[in-house]
Amino acid sequence: MINTLAQIDHLASAGRTPWHRASALSKLLLAAGLVLLAVFAPSLWLLAGLYAVAWGLALTARLPWRLTLVASGYPVAFTLLFVLARWDGTVETPLRLLLRPLTASLVAVWLVGTTPYPDLFAPLSRLLPRNVGDGLFLTYRALFELMGRTGGLWRALRLRGGASGPVRRRLTLAGEGLATMVLYGFERSERLYATMRLRGHSGRICGCHHFAEGSRADLLVAAAGLIVTAGAVLLWRMP
Amino acid sequence: MSHLHIPDGVLPALLWAPGLGLALLLLVLGARVLRGASPQRLAYQSALGALVLAAMVVELPLGPLDYHLTLVGPVGVLLGAASIFQVVFVANAILALVGHGGLTVVGLNALVLGAGGVLARPVYLACVRRWGPPVAMTAATAVAQIVSGALWLAVMAVALHVQAVGPNRVKLVAGVAFPLYLAGIVIESAVAFGVARFITRVRPDLLPGGATPVETSR
Repeated sequence: MINTLAQIDHLASAGRTPWHRASALSKLLLAAGLVLLAVFAPSLWLLAGLYAVAWGLALTARLPWRLTLVASGYPVAFTLLFVLARWDGTVETPLRLLLRPLTASLVAVWLVGTTPYPDLFAPLSRLLPRNVGDGLFLTYRALFELMGRTGGLWRALRLRGGASGPVRRRLTLAGEGLATMVLYGFERSERLYATMRLRGHSGRICGCHHFAEGSRADLLVAAAGLIVTAGAVLLWRMP
Repeated sequence: MSHLHIPDGVLPALLWAPGLGLALLLLVLGARVLRGASPQRLAYQSALGALVLAAMVVELPLGPLDYHLTLVGPVGVLLGAASIFQVVFVANAILALVGHGGLTVVGLNALVLGAGGVLARPVYLACVRRWGPPVAMTAATAVAQIVSGALWLAVMAVALHVQAVGPNRVKLVAGVAFPLYLAGIVIESAVAFGVARFITRVRPDLLPGGATPVETSR
Protein backbone atom coordinates (compact mmCIF):
# COMPACT_ATOMS: atom_id res chain seq x y z
CA MET A 1 0.00 0.00 0.00
CA ILE A 2 2.93 2.33 0.61
CA ASN A 3 3.51 2.71 -3.14
CA THR A 4 -0.16 3.36 -3.76
CA LEU A 5 -0.30 5.98 -1.04
CA ALA A 6 2.96 7.58 -2.17
CA GLN A 7 1.77 7.75 -5.78
CA ILE A 8 -1.56 9.30 -4.78
CA ASP A 9 0.26 11.81 -2.59
CA HIS A 10 2.58 12.70 -5.47
CA LEU A 11 -0.33 13.09 -7.91
CA ALA A 12 -2.09 15.44 -5.48
CA SER A 13 0.84 17.85 -5.62
CA ALA A 14 1.98 17.31 -9.21
CA GLY A 15 -1.41 17.21 -10.98
CA ARG A 16 -2.38 20.16 -13.18
CA THR A 17 -6.05 19.50 -13.95
CA PRO A 18 -8.89 21.88 -13.01
CA TRP A 19 -9.77 19.51 -10.15
CA HIS A 20 -6.32 20.11 -8.71
CA ARG A 21 -6.81 23.87 -8.99
CA ALA A 22 -10.20 23.86 -7.26
CA SER A 23 -10.29 24.73 -3.57
CA ALA A 24 -10.04 21.95 -1.00
CA LEU A 25 -13.24 23.10 0.68
CA SER A 26 -15.40 22.79 -2.44
CA LYS A 27 -13.97 19.34 -3.20
CA LEU A 28 -14.53 18.25 0.39
CA LEU A 29 -18.17 19.32 0.17
CA LEU A 30 -18.67 17.51 -3.14
CA ALA A 31 -16.97 14.39 -1.79
CA ALA A 32 -19.05 14.45 1.39
CA GLY A 33 -22.24 14.78 -0.67
CA LEU A 34 -21.25 11.90 -2.95
CA VAL A 35 -20.32 9.63 -0.04
CA LEU A 36 -23.57 10.34 1.79
CA LEU A 37 -25.58 9.75 -1.38
CA ALA A 38 -23.76 6.46 -1.95
CA VAL A 39 -24.50 5.39 1.62
CA PHE A 40 -28.20 6.29 1.59
CA ALA A 41 -29.25 5.86 -2.06
CA PRO A 42 -31.96 3.19 -2.30
CA SER A 43 -31.86 2.85 -6.09
CA LEU A 44 -29.42 0.57 -7.87
CA TRP A 45 -29.55 2.87 -10.92
CA LEU A 46 -28.57 5.82 -8.78
CA LEU A 47 -25.73 3.86 -7.20
CA ALA A 48 -24.48 2.83 -10.64
CA GLY A 49 -24.72 6.46 -11.75
CA LEU A 50 -22.76 7.66 -8.73
CA TYR A 51 -20.07 5.05 -9.37
CA ALA A 52 -19.82 6.24 -12.98
CA VAL A 53 -19.58 9.86 -11.79
CA ALA A 54 -16.81 8.88 -9.33
CA TRP A 55 -14.87 7.19 -12.14
CA GLY A 56 -15.45 10.26 -14.29
CA LEU A 57 -13.99 12.46 -11.58
CA ALA A 58 -10.95 10.19 -11.12
CA LEU A 59 -10.19 9.83 -14.82
CA THR A 60 -10.65 13.53 -15.65
CA ALA A 61 -8.27 14.25 -12.75
CA ARG A 62 -5.79 12.07 -14.71
CA LEU A 63 -5.38 9.60 -11.88
CA PRO A 64 -3.99 6.39 -13.46
CA TRP A 65 -6.86 3.92 -13.76
CA ARG A 66 -4.89 0.94 -12.39
CA LEU A 67 -3.74 2.87 -9.36
CA THR A 68 -7.29 4.13 -8.79
CA LEU A 69 -8.73 0.64 -9.16
CA VAL A 70 -6.26 -0.80 -6.64
CA ALA A 71 -6.65 2.04 -4.14
CA SER A 72 -10.43 2.05 -4.28
CA GLY A 73 -10.79 -1.74 -4.35
CA TYR A 74 -9.95 -2.35 -0.69
CA PRO A 75 -13.58 -2.51 0.53
CA VAL A 76 -14.30 -5.50 -1.75
CA ALA A 77 -12.72 -8.04 0.64
CA PHE A 78 -14.70 -6.82 3.62
CA THR A 79 -17.94 -6.36 1.69
CA LEU A 80 -17.74 -9.96 0.45
CA LEU A 81 -18.47 -11.02 4.04
CA PHE A 82 -21.76 -9.11 3.84
CA VAL A 83 -22.46 -10.43 0.33
CA LEU A 84 -21.96 -13.94 1.71
CA ALA A 85 -24.34 -13.26 4.58
CA ARG A 86 -27.03 -11.53 2.54
CA TRP A 87 -26.90 -13.54 -0.68
CA ASP A 88 -30.50 -13.99 -1.86
CA GLY A 89 -29.91 -15.41 -5.32
CA THR A 90 -30.36 -12.07 -7.09
CA VAL A 91 -27.74 -9.89 -8.75
CA GLU A 92 -29.19 -6.69 -7.29
CA THR A 93 -28.33 -7.34 -3.63
CA PRO A 94 -24.59 -8.03 -4.09
CA LEU A 95 -24.35 -5.17 -6.62
CA ARG A 96 -25.98 -2.77 -4.19
CA LEU A 97 -23.71 -3.97 -1.37
CA LEU A 98 -20.59 -3.58 -3.48
CA LEU A 99 -21.40 -0.29 -5.19
CA ARG A 100 -21.90 1.68 -1.97
CA PRO A 101 -18.40 1.19 -0.48
CA LEU A 102 -16.69 1.16 -3.88
CA THR A 103 -18.21 4.53 -4.80
CA ALA A 104 -17.30 6.01 -1.41
CA SER A 105 -13.69 4.79 -1.57
CA LEU A 106 -13.32 5.95 -5.18
CA VAL A 107 -14.53 9.42 -4.22
CA ALA A 108 -12.04 9.44 -1.32
CA VAL A 109 -9.21 8.50 -3.69
CA TRP A 110 -10.25 11.29 -6.10
CA LEU A 111 -10.28 13.78 -3.23
CA VAL A 112 -6.86 12.76 -1.89
CA GLY A 113 -5.42 12.44 -5.41
CA THR A 114 -6.34 16.04 -6.29
CA THR A 115 -5.71 17.79 -2.96
CA PRO A 116 -2.30 18.16 -1.27
CA TYR A 117 -2.48 17.01 2.33
CA PRO A 118 -1.94 20.42 4.01
CA ASP A 119 -4.95 21.79 2.09
CA LEU A 120 -6.99 18.70 2.86
CA PHE A 121 -6.20 18.54 6.58
CA ALA A 122 -6.49 22.29 7.23
CA PRO A 123 -10.32 22.42 7.17
CA LEU A 124 -10.59 19.06 8.97
CA SER A 125 -8.23 20.21 11.72
CA ARG A 126 -10.47 23.22 12.36
CA LEU A 127 -13.38 20.90 13.13
CA LEU A 128 -11.37 18.61 15.43
CA PRO A 129 -9.87 19.29 18.88
CA ARG A 130 -6.53 21.06 18.60
CA ASN A 131 -4.15 18.21 19.36
CA VAL A 132 -6.10 15.81 17.13
CA GLY A 133 -5.87 18.29 14.25
CA ASP A 134 -2.15 18.73 14.87
CA GLY A 135 -1.84 14.96 15.12
CA LEU A 136 -3.26 14.60 11.60
CA PHE A 137 -0.45 16.73 10.14
CA LEU A 138 2.34 15.22 12.22
CA THR A 139 1.22 11.62 11.71
CA TYR A 140 0.98 12.06 7.94
CA ARG A 141 4.40 13.73 7.87
CA ALA A 142 5.94 10.83 9.81
CA LEU A 143 4.06 8.18 7.86
CA PHE A 144 6.19 7.80 4.74
CA GLU A 145 9.44 7.82 6.70
CA LEU A 146 8.17 5.19 9.17
CA MET A 147 6.72 3.07 6.37
CA GLY A 148 9.98 3.15 4.47
CA ARG A 149 11.94 2.23 7.58
CA THR A 150 9.53 -0.54 8.54
CA GLY A 151 9.74 -1.96 5.01
CA GLY A 152 13.55 -1.91 5.24
CA LEU A 153 13.40 -3.56 8.65
CA TRP A 154 11.27 -6.39 7.26
CA ARG A 155 13.69 -6.95 4.38
CA ALA A 156 16.61 -7.02 6.81
CA LEU A 157 14.77 -9.49 9.04
CA ARG A 158 14.14 -11.82 6.11
CA LEU A 159 17.72 -11.58 4.85
CA ARG A 160 19.12 -12.39 8.29
CA GLY A 161 16.86 -15.38 8.84
CA GLY A 162 14.21 -13.62 10.89
CA ALA A 163 11.49 -15.03 8.66
CA SER A 164 12.47 -18.64 9.25
CA GLY A 165 12.33 -20.88 12.29
CA PRO A 166 9.44 -21.45 14.68
CA VAL A 167 6.53 -19.01 14.45
CA ARG A 168 6.97 -17.90 18.06
CA ARG A 169 10.58 -16.91 17.44
CA ARG A 170 9.66 -15.11 14.21
CA LEU A 171 6.95 -13.10 15.94
CA THR A 172 9.15 -12.14 18.88
CA LEU A 173 11.91 -11.06 16.49
CA ALA A 174 9.40 -9.01 14.53
CA GLY A 175 8.36 -7.38 17.81
CA GLU A 176 11.96 -6.56 18.67
CA GLY A 177 12.40 -5.05 15.23
CA LEU A 178 9.29 -2.93 15.68
CA ALA A 179 10.58 -1.81 19.07
CA THR A 180 13.51 -0.18 17.26
CA MET A 181 10.87 1.81 15.36
CA VAL A 182 9.39 2.94 18.69
CA LEU A 183 12.82 4.19 19.75
CA TYR A 184 13.29 5.83 16.37
CA GLY A 185 9.88 7.49 16.77
CA PHE A 186 10.91 8.85 20.15
CA GLU A 187 14.20 10.22 18.86
CA ARG A 188 12.43 11.67 15.86
CA SER A 189 9.95 13.45 18.12
CA GLU A 190 12.85 15.06 20.01
CA ARG A 191 14.35 16.31 16.75
CA LEU A 192 11.01 17.51 15.47
CA TYR A 193 10.32 19.35 18.72
CA ALA A 194 13.69 21.12 18.47
CA THR A 195 12.91 22.08 14.85
CA MET A 196 9.46 23.36 15.79
CA ARG A 197 10.95 25.53 18.54
CA LEU A 198 13.62 26.88 16.19
CA ARG A 199 10.95 27.81 13.65
CA GLY A 200 8.90 29.64 16.28
CA HIS A 201 6.11 27.09 16.83
CA SER A 202 3.21 29.03 18.33
CA GLY A 203 1.40 26.08 19.85
CA ARG A 204 -0.75 25.14 16.86
CA ILE A 205 -0.13 23.67 13.44
CA CYS A 206 -2.56 25.55 11.21
CA GLY A 207 -1.78 24.15 7.78
CA CYS A 208 -2.27 26.47 4.85
CA HIS A 209 -4.85 29.23 4.83
CA HIS A 210 -5.93 28.98 1.20
CA PHE A 211 -8.01 25.82 1.46
CA ALA A 212 -11.15 27.97 1.05
CA GLU A 213 -9.85 30.37 -1.60
CA GLY A 214 -12.11 30.04 -4.58
CA SER A 215 -11.04 29.97 -8.23
CA ARG A 216 -12.73 29.46 -11.58
CA ALA A 217 -12.07 25.75 -11.20
CA ASP A 218 -14.57 25.74 -8.34
CA LEU A 219 -17.29 26.36 -10.90
CA LEU A 220 -16.50 22.91 -12.27
CA VAL A 221 -16.92 21.41 -8.81
CA ALA A 222 -20.21 23.28 -8.44
CA ALA A 223 -21.35 22.01 -11.85
CA ALA A 224 -20.49 18.45 -10.85
CA GLY A 225 -22.46 18.95 -7.65
CA LEU A 226 -25.48 20.20 -9.61
CA ILE A 227 -25.34 17.28 -12.04
CA VAL A 228 -25.12 14.80 -9.16
CA THR A 229 -28.02 16.48 -7.34
CA ALA A 230 -30.18 16.45 -10.48
CA GLY A 231 -29.32 12.81 -11.10
CA ALA A 232 -30.12 11.90 -7.53
CA VAL A 233 -33.55 13.58 -7.73
CA LEU A 234 -34.33 11.81 -11.00
CA LEU A 235 -33.10 8.35 -10.06
CA TRP A 236 -33.92 8.22 -6.32
CA ARG A 237 -37.20 6.34 -6.76
CA MET A 238 -36.03 4.01 -9.51
CA PRO A 239 -35.47 0.33 -8.59
CA MET B 1 -8.85 -8.67 12.46
CA SER B 2 -10.19 -5.72 14.45
CA HIS B 3 -8.34 -3.46 12.02
CA LEU B 4 -10.20 -4.99 9.09
CA HIS B 5 -11.64 -1.54 8.56
CA ILE B 6 -15.35 -1.40 7.97
CA PRO B 7 -16.07 0.49 4.71
CA ASP B 8 -18.86 2.96 3.95
CA GLY B 9 -22.32 1.78 3.11
CA VAL B 10 -22.33 -1.73 4.60
CA LEU B 11 -23.54 -0.77 8.06
CA PRO B 12 -26.87 0.90 8.83
CA ALA B 13 -26.77 4.56 9.92
CA LEU B 14 -28.27 3.36 13.19
CA LEU B 15 -24.81 1.97 13.99
CA TRP B 16 -22.30 4.34 12.42
CA ALA B 17 -23.96 7.67 13.27
CA PRO B 18 -23.96 7.15 17.08
CA GLY B 19 -20.47 5.66 16.71
CA LEU B 20 -19.24 8.84 15.04
CA GLY B 21 -20.91 10.99 17.70
CA LEU B 22 -19.45 8.98 20.56
CA ALA B 23 -15.98 8.99 19.02
CA LEU B 24 -16.07 12.79 18.62
CA LEU B 25 -17.21 13.16 22.21
CA LEU B 26 -14.35 10.95 23.41
CA LEU B 27 -11.92 12.96 21.30
CA VAL B 28 -13.06 16.18 22.95
CA LEU B 29 -12.73 14.59 26.41
CA GLY B 30 -9.31 13.21 25.52
CA ALA B 31 -8.22 16.61 24.26
CA ARG B 32 -9.17 18.13 27.62
CA VAL B 33 -7.09 15.52 29.43
CA LEU B 34 -4.12 16.20 27.15
CA ARG B 35 -4.51 19.99 27.17
CA GLY B 36 -1.12 20.73 28.77
CA ALA B 37 0.84 18.16 26.76
CA SER B 38 4.06 19.44 25.18
CA PRO B 39 4.62 19.56 21.42
CA GLN B 40 7.28 16.87 21.92
CA ARG B 41 4.68 14.60 23.42
CA LEU B 42 2.40 15.29 20.44
CA ALA B 43 5.25 14.57 18.03
CA TYR B 44 5.98 11.26 19.84
CA GLN B 45 2.30 10.35 19.79
CA SER B 46 2.13 11.11 16.07
CA ALA B 47 5.27 9.08 15.34
CA LEU B 48 3.70 6.09 17.09
CA GLY B 49 0.49 6.76 15.15
CA ALA B 50 2.50 6.56 11.96
CA LEU B 51 4.05 3.32 13.25
CA VAL B 52 0.56 1.88 13.82
CA LEU B 53 -0.28 2.76 10.20
CA ALA B 54 3.03 1.36 8.95
CA ALA B 55 2.45 -1.86 10.90
CA MET B 56 -1.02 -2.16 9.40
CA VAL B 57 0.49 -1.96 5.93
CA VAL B 58 3.51 -4.26 6.23
CA GLU B 59 2.83 -7.96 5.73
CA LEU B 60 4.15 -10.37 8.34
CA PRO B 61 4.72 -13.66 6.50
CA LEU B 62 3.33 -16.64 8.38
CA GLY B 63 3.51 -19.61 6.06
CA PRO B 64 0.65 -19.44 3.54
CA LEU B 65 -0.85 -16.33 5.18
CA ASP B 66 0.31 -12.75 5.49
CA TYR B 67 -0.77 -11.00 8.67
CA HIS B 68 -1.12 -7.25 9.10
CA LEU B 69 -0.39 -6.07 12.64
CA THR B 70 -2.21 -3.30 14.51
CA LEU B 71 0.23 -2.65 17.40
CA VAL B 72 -2.61 -1.00 19.29
CA GLY B 73 -1.77 -2.92 22.48
CA PRO B 74 1.90 -1.90 22.74
CA VAL B 75 1.19 1.67 21.62
CA GLY B 76 -1.69 1.86 24.11
CA VAL B 77 0.71 0.85 26.88
CA LEU B 78 3.31 3.40 25.78
CA LEU B 79 0.92 6.33 25.34
CA GLY B 80 -1.99 5.80 27.73
CA ALA B 81 -5.75 5.90 27.22
CA ALA B 82 -6.41 9.46 25.99
CA SER B 83 -3.53 9.45 23.52
CA ILE B 84 -4.16 6.02 22.05
CA PHE B 85 -7.73 6.92 21.21
CA GLN B 86 -6.52 10.03 19.37
CA VAL B 87 -3.86 7.97 17.60
CA VAL B 88 -6.39 5.37 16.48
CA PHE B 89 -8.85 8.04 15.28
CA VAL B 90 -6.17 9.84 13.26
CA ALA B 91 -4.90 6.55 11.80
CA ASN B 92 -8.43 5.56 10.76
CA ALA B 93 -9.10 9.02 9.31
CA ILE B 94 -5.94 8.88 7.18
CA LEU B 95 -6.75 5.34 6.03
CA ALA B 96 -10.32 6.33 5.18
CA LEU B 97 -9.02 9.18 3.04
CA VAL B 98 -7.14 6.69 0.87
CA GLY B 99 -10.10 4.36 0.53
CA HIS B 100 -9.18 1.94 3.35
CA GLY B 101 -12.18 1.93 5.64
CA GLY B 102 -15.01 4.39 5.35
CA LEU B 103 -15.37 8.11 5.97
CA THR B 104 -18.75 7.72 7.66
CA VAL B 105 -17.50 4.84 9.82
CA VAL B 106 -14.28 6.51 11.00
CA GLY B 107 -15.85 6.88 14.46
CA LEU B 108 -16.99 3.29 14.71
CA ASN B 109 -13.65 1.94 13.44
CA ALA B 110 -11.85 4.15 15.98
CA LEU B 111 -14.12 2.96 18.79
CA VAL B 112 -13.57 -0.70 17.90
CA LEU B 113 -9.77 -0.40 17.84
CA GLY B 114 -9.53 2.29 20.50
CA ALA B 115 -11.55 0.38 23.11
CA GLY B 116 -8.83 -2.26 23.27
CA GLY B 117 -6.03 0.28 23.20
CA VAL B 118 -7.55 2.26 26.06
CA LEU B 119 -7.48 -0.82 28.30
CA ALA B 120 -3.89 -1.72 27.48
CA ARG B 121 -2.12 0.52 29.97
CA PRO B 122 -4.29 -0.28 33.02
CA VAL B 123 -3.80 -4.01 32.35
CA TYR B 124 -0.06 -3.47 31.91
CA LEU B 125 0.22 -1.54 35.18
CA ALA B 126 -1.75 -4.21 37.01
CA CYS B 127 0.62 -6.94 35.80
CA VAL B 128 4.05 -5.32 35.53
CA ARG B 129 5.19 -5.57 39.15
CA ARG B 130 4.40 -9.24 39.40
CA TRP B 131 5.53 -10.48 35.99
CA GLY B 132 7.81 -7.80 34.53
CA PRO B 133 7.36 -5.66 31.37
CA PRO B 134 7.45 -8.29 28.58
CA VAL B 135 4.76 -10.50 30.12
CA ALA B 136 2.72 -7.49 31.24
CA MET B 137 2.86 -6.06 27.70
CA THR B 138 1.82 -9.45 26.32
CA ALA B 139 -1.16 -9.60 28.70
CA ALA B 140 -2.14 -6.00 27.94
CA THR B 141 -2.01 -6.66 24.20
CA ALA B 142 -4.00 -9.88 24.55
CA VAL B 143 -6.72 -8.00 26.44
CA ALA B 144 -6.68 -5.18 23.87
CA GLN B 145 -7.06 -7.66 21.02
CA ILE B 146 -9.78 -9.63 22.80
CA VAL B 147 -11.81 -6.48 23.45
CA SER B 148 -11.30 -4.92 20.00
CA GLY B 149 -11.97 -8.19 18.20
CA ALA B 150 -15.05 -8.90 20.30
CA LEU B 151 -16.39 -5.42 19.58
CA TRP B 152 -15.75 -5.93 15.87
CA LEU B 153 -17.64 -9.23 15.97
CA ALA B 154 -20.45 -7.57 17.95
CA VAL B 155 -20.73 -4.74 15.39
CA MET B 156 -20.91 -7.31 12.61
CA ALA B 157 -23.52 -9.37 14.47
CA VAL B 158 -25.71 -6.32 15.17
CA ALA B 159 -25.36 -5.12 11.58
CA LEU B 160 -26.42 -8.50 10.22
CA HIS B 161 -29.26 -8.73 12.73
CA VAL B 162 -30.56 -5.27 11.79
CA GLN B 163 -30.46 -6.27 8.13
CA ALA B 164 -32.59 -9.34 8.95
CA VAL B 165 -29.92 -11.88 8.05
CA GLY B 166 -30.80 -15.39 9.22
CA PRO B 167 -28.90 -17.10 12.05
CA ASN B 168 -27.33 -19.64 9.68
CA ARG B 169 -25.72 -16.88 7.64
CA VAL B 170 -24.51 -15.16 10.81
CA LYS B 171 -22.89 -18.46 11.86
CA LEU B 172 -21.25 -18.68 8.44
CA VAL B 173 -19.71 -15.20 8.83
CA ALA B 174 -18.67 -16.02 12.39
CA GLY B 175 -17.04 -19.21 11.09
CA VAL B 176 -14.87 -17.11 8.79
CA ALA B 177 -14.15 -14.36 11.31
CA PHE B 178 -13.62 -16.27 14.57
CA PRO B 179 -10.43 -18.16 13.60
CA LEU B 180 -8.93 -14.86 12.41
CA TYR B 181 -9.91 -13.32 15.74
CA LEU B 182 -8.08 -16.03 17.70
CA ALA B 183 -5.03 -15.87 15.43
CA GLY B 184 -4.92 -12.09 15.88
CA ILE B 185 -4.80 -12.41 19.68
CA VAL B 186 -1.89 -14.87 19.57
CA ILE B 187 0.12 -13.03 16.91
CA GLU B 188 -0.25 -9.55 18.37
CA SER B 189 0.59 -10.80 21.88
CA ALA B 190 3.75 -12.56 20.69
CA VAL B 191 4.89 -9.47 18.82
CA ALA B 192 4.13 -7.31 21.89
CA PHE B 193 6.36 -9.60 23.96
CA GLY B 194 9.26 -8.85 21.60
CA VAL B 195 8.51 -5.10 21.65
CA ALA B 196 8.57 -4.98 25.46
CA ARG B 197 11.64 -7.22 25.76
CA PHE B 198 13.65 -4.92 23.51
CA ILE B 199 12.46 -1.67 25.09
CA THR B 200 13.11 -3.04 28.59
CA ARG B 201 16.72 -3.72 27.59
CA VAL B 202 17.36 -0.49 25.71
CA ARG B 203 15.06 2.30 26.94
CA PRO B 204 13.08 1.12 30.00
CA ASP B 205 12.20 4.74 30.76
CA LEU B 206 9.80 4.71 27.79
CA LEU B 207 7.62 2.14 29.54
CA PRO B 208 5.12 3.26 32.18
CA GLY B 209 6.51 2.41 35.59
CA GLY B 210 10.04 2.53 34.08
CA ALA B 211 13.06 4.23 35.67
CA THR B 212 12.41 7.78 34.48
CA PRO B 213 9.14 7.91 32.57
CA VAL B 214 8.92 10.26 29.62
CA GLU B 215 5.66 12.13 30.23
CA THR B 216 3.79 8.91 30.68
CA SER B 217 1.36 10.15 33.29
CA ARG B 218 -1.53 10.92 30.93
